[in-house]
Amino acid sequence: MKQKILYVLSENYPEIDFESSDELVDDGTLDSLTVVGIISALSAEFDVELPYEEITPENFNSIDAITALFEKYV
Amino acid sequence: MPVMTYNSLFFFVFFILFLLIYLLMPRPLPRQIVILAGNFYFYKYAGGLNCMSVLIVFSVVVYFLTRRMEAIYASYEKEAEGLTKKEQVPLLQSYKKKTRICLIAGIAVILGTLLYVKLGRLLHFEEVARIRELSFRKIMVPLGLSYFTFSAIGYLADVYWRKAKVEHNYLTLLTAMSFFPAIVEGPISRYDKLMKQLRELPSFSYERVCHGMQRMFYGFLKKMVIADRITPVTTAIFSDVFSYAGVEMVLAVIGNVAAIYMDFSGCMDIVLGAAETMGVTLDENFRQPFFAKSAAEFWRRWHITLGTWFKDYVYMPIAMNPRFMKWTGKVRKKRGNNAAKILSAAVPLMIVWILTGLWHGTGKDYLLWGFYWGILIIIETAFAKELKAVPGKLHLNTGSFGYRLFQMIRTFVFFAVGRMITACGAGRSVFLILIQMFREARFHILTDGSLFQYGLDKKNAAVVACGLLVVWIVDIAASKGSVREKIDRWPLVLRWVVYYALVMSVVIFGIYGQAYDAGAFVYGGF
Repeated sequence: MKQKILYVLSENYPEIDFESSDELVDDGTLDSLTVVGIISALSAEFDVELPYEEITPENFNSIDAITALFEKYV
Repeated sequence: MPVMTYNSLFFFVFFILFLLIYLLMPRPLPRQIVILAGNFYFYKYAGGLNCMSVLIVFSVVVYFLTRRMEAIYASYEKEAEGLTKKEQVPLLQSYKKKTRICLIAGIAVILGTLLYVKLGRLLHFEEVARIRELSFRKIMVPLGLSYFTFSAIGYLADVYWRKAKVEHNYLTLLTAMSFFPAIVEGPISRYDKLMKQLRELPSFSYERVCHGMQRMFYGFLKKMVIADRITPVTTAIFSDVFSYAGVEMVLAVIGNVAAIYMDFSGCMDIVLGAAETMGVTLDENFRQPFFAKSAAEFWRRWHITLGTWFKDYVYMPIAMNPRFMKWTGKVRKKRGNNAAKILSAAVPLMIVWILTGLWHGTGKDYLLWGFYWGILIIIETAFAKELKAVPGKLHLNTGSFGYRLFQMIRTFVFFAVGRMITACGAGRSVFLILIQMFREARFHILTDGSLFQYGLDKKNAAVVACGLLVVWIVDIAASKGSVREKIDRWPLVLRWVVYYALVMSVVIFGIYGQAYDAGAFVYGGF
């Protein structure tokens, strides 16, 4: 699943290296617009609805955290 | 009865006496009780105790609804024990349906009241000061309504989303909701963060009290020495637009921008400084906004807590709405990634900016103001790549001081145009000002001495110029680190010269009294 998520994200955000950091939100790599874009792309890919309370910096700080989050809903 | 505003002598005397009693308290609980008593006293003289009843009703509603939501989620936690994470997802959704009723009920009461008051103002309903006088077509406008309603809704939503811990002590909730330093103009507090601090109020610290008082005086300087000198002049010009033109109008717009920055950020310095003396850290509302390089960045530096509130409770919930996501998903398939990205940002952004405009005022001017900022920020977002490429095509050095200065001037112009939209209190305000600006030049006022005959003579203009220079230097220093920590490292004599100069400049050059009718803070009106 991680590979598939990486593929979708690199298609949508080729300028961001998602494996470069464990603090993607905290270090400012991802802003709220990008987080919304990521959720939108991955929700469409996996056909899931992510509840709003899951949108926390911790869930988007690394590719592993994003993978773990979507694994819960797929 | 005297009216208490943050820049009044009445407030200062009250605050010093309050602080003395507060600092004598031995433990967090009595300190919190002193704050609550201070809140009531402040509200009595700033907004009237009768109006405080609205806040008290809200606090009761918020208390019971959050406790109810907590009880529902506690049942979920019990039932979810032993289930896998995947199995917990549908179970949580079923429980959320129950808590959603509490959330909707709370928002209906709180937001309904705010909307009724805003609509009542728009329709010129009669304003009354006592509950028993309330009836159809009459409104009561409690002090700080726009601020504590937003904080209360935020707290309810955070509990619903299980992001905030529920407060069990009603008095702590009431203390947070009525916290007097933040009740008039914010910052829009996150009650869970504030309540956590109220439960652990620290004991006396010389450094903290000193820092807090320094910041308060810096705020008094901005408000009483600078803003209150400029505001009467610009207000007079914008209330009689047709008598002024060209340079006069350009200077009035620049003055208006300077005044609102000094007024609002000055108030925030007083508020944050006052809270700091008690050991409470409130969220910053300003971070050198005019150093911003874009419109979007400006709003991450100006009235930060309002922007954050709209991002967390309006922008993100809309952008994350499953139906909205499905719609943007369809657009992605039909029109490609870029179109979907633009759409998923543009729709919630425009809604946020229209609501931000309506939060400031219900007139057409504020609606137009919201559209203006919404369109600016959407353009910046949608064409980010193209805009980023422009300096390269023009062979400009984006790292140079000149380019940074250009970006700052551009931000200033963006904000100034925004101010022009609302300056005269009419929908066509910006057009009137622009027409007058270009009708004739009137350059002669710069050389024949008439510049100092608009209400700001040479001496007062020099005071304003010096004040603005000080703020500009402090802003530059603050963008590189804490100014107060830097001052702390200075030799004792130099440090006290700075403190003394700050206090004396407020005492000597501060504008007092009602003659200017500039005592009230601009953002207190929202």
